Amino acid sequence: MAGLVSNRGCHKIRGSQIRELLDSKLNVLFDCDGVIWNGETVVAGAPEVVTLLKQQGKKVFFITNNCTRPRASYVSKFIRLGFTDVAEEEIFSSAYCSAAYLRDVAKLQGKVYVIGCQGVVKELREAGVPIVEEDTDAPTGTIYDYPLDPDVKAVLVGYDEKFDFIKLAKACCYLQNTECLFLATDPDPWHPLRGGRITPGSGSLTAAVETASSRKATVIGKPSCFMFECIASQFNLDPSQSLMVGDRLETDILFGANCGLDTMLTLTGVSTLEEARGYKDSDDPERKDFVPDYVVETIADFIEAYEEEEG
Amino acid sequence: MAGARAFGFKECRKIGGSQIRNLLNAKDFFLFDCDGVIWHGEKAITGAPKVVSSLIKHGKNVFFVTNNCTRPRENYLNKFLRLGFTDVMQEQIFSSSYCSALYLRDVAKVQGKVFVIGGEGVRNELLQAGIPFVGDEDAPDGTIFNCALASDVKAVLVGHDDKFTFLKLAKASCYLRDPECLFLATDVDPWHPLQDGRILPGSGCLTAALEVATGRKAMVIGKPSPFMFECISSQFRVDPAQCLMVGDRLETDMLFGANCGLDTMLTLTGISQMKTAQEYRDSDHSTNQSFVPDYVVDTIADFLPAFEN
Repeated sequence: MAGLVSNRGCHKIRGSQIRELLDSKLNVLFDCDGVIWNGETVVAGAPEVVTLLKQQGKKVFFITNNCTRPRASYVSKFIRLGFTDVAEEEIFSSAYCSAAYLRDVAKLQGKVYVIGCQGVVKELREAGVPIVEEDTDAPTGTIYDYPLDPDVKAVLVGYDEKFDFIKLAKACCYLQNTECLFLATDPDPWHPLRGGRITPGSGSLTAAVETASSRKATVIGKPSCFMFECIASQFNLDPSQSLMVGDRLETDILFGANCGLDTMLTLTGVSTLEEARGYKDSDDPERKDFVPDYVVETIADFIEAYEEEEG
Repeated sequence: MAGARAFGFKECRKIGGSQIRNLLNAKDFFLFDCDGVIWHGEKAITGAPKVVSSLIKHGKNVFFVTNNCTRPRENYLNKFLRLGFTDVMQEQIFSSSYCSALYLRDVAKVQGKVFVIGGEGVRNELLQAGIPFVGDEDAPDGTIFNCALASDVKAVLVGHDDKFTFLKLAKASCYLRDPECLFLATDVDPWHPLQDGRILPGSGCLTAALEVATGRKAMVIGKPSPFMFECISSQFRVDPAQCLMVGDRLETDMLFGANCGLDTMLTLTGISQMKTAQEYRDSDHSTNQSFVPDYVVDTIADFLPAFEN
């Protein structure tokens, strides 16, 4: 069959169309939440898809804005959910890449003030980036006189269930120094939980700090290209040989567009086909970058694509 | 005051002496912001108490219009007395917390509970307005995964809260998933200066976090929204043309004045500087004109010579 036009066309594909697409790519980059798992529940068929792609000689990477775990913990989760052959080197989280940025790009001389959880703290420690050590369970001082560390040269904001007013106040005080860097792990506004609940994302906390400090954060995670640059620098990836598979149009698909990758929306997560079509029909030229090239119901459809050929 | 002005064009003119006297004669209603205008923290601006008494003695109507939602009005009254302002009455004080309660009771006529992110000022005003609220009941180990969510929350009100937590933000976000649930902010002030060069995050930060987490925009009660002027007008007969709004923050007080059709005066004892006002005036963007004051004084104490006659 004739080649599919990758033109932000939002084409729903199955079977041999998927096969043809995958045959043309060397590298597949998967988002995690909403693509290969939802919380602690694996997306049916996802482990088989990863194994299959590797058997076909593809390089497979996992690229997630979720900054709550260090990479070793992600490896455990992969194993726990039935993925048998995922190596730590294949996992790129915004926490890992934030630490890499501070160490290798910013070459930080000084400490980082972190709003975030263990995922970020551990990655920073592993990268040898000094952190302001605080006993967050026993805060000292009031909102008017808490101590400030004079060695802070960067503020990093990520998902933090212990975020509170004092952390916000400290962050914006550190950021009064224009030499102090301002980084955000990712811009995700919220994440779905069970039962219709949501939890605010790093993007929400970053908005608070941006407003208090009158400064804009440098964002490490998708849709910024930095995480692709991280992978590409370690594995020599060619964007034209790479496919980005995600569930969030404003994050994953825009990321793909920004980095020059073909993009595929899977419908097992946050964004819907209606939303994708809405962006496609929009008059605003900026919206075009939110439109995926391809759409699948679930990545499990890849399995059928290979079975058809064999049938 | 005489002198033709291009429509919408604010001159940003520093005035003194007889110009101030003429202005005081021309206006009947004086609306003062508080922080940075009549006091700094616990210290009155020199001369400010005398300015307020003199205006009142000369038969002028004086109101205080503040975004500061941390105190109930009685508490503000105590502060006025403590700092030497002797003629102020509670009815003259319009805070964003008081006006938020009025909005919920009289405009939205909310049926159900309000989820509050805020302190004593907001809670007290809601109590006095007879509006049921929830907001502070979390167990120390509660998380958004396991906490209870009330079933009859019909509005979320966010204001300054130095006990703000992630859990409050998360709960508010969940309540606002219901499009019928109102989303109000007392004010959107981004930050406030502290004594030693530090800054304190304002209600605007908490509101921004909630707007991003919900994809919704808050309805803002405080300046620069005109609602607080509508509150004053609903209780007193006020003619916008007879009003002067005196404030220290261009993006809040001057914009408020512009939005309500009031003449505006910037006093330089607070946040905004003359230079910034002039930059707005000289800017190409027409929207920046609304930040420009009509008049500028170094301090409201500059009114005092006008009363000596």
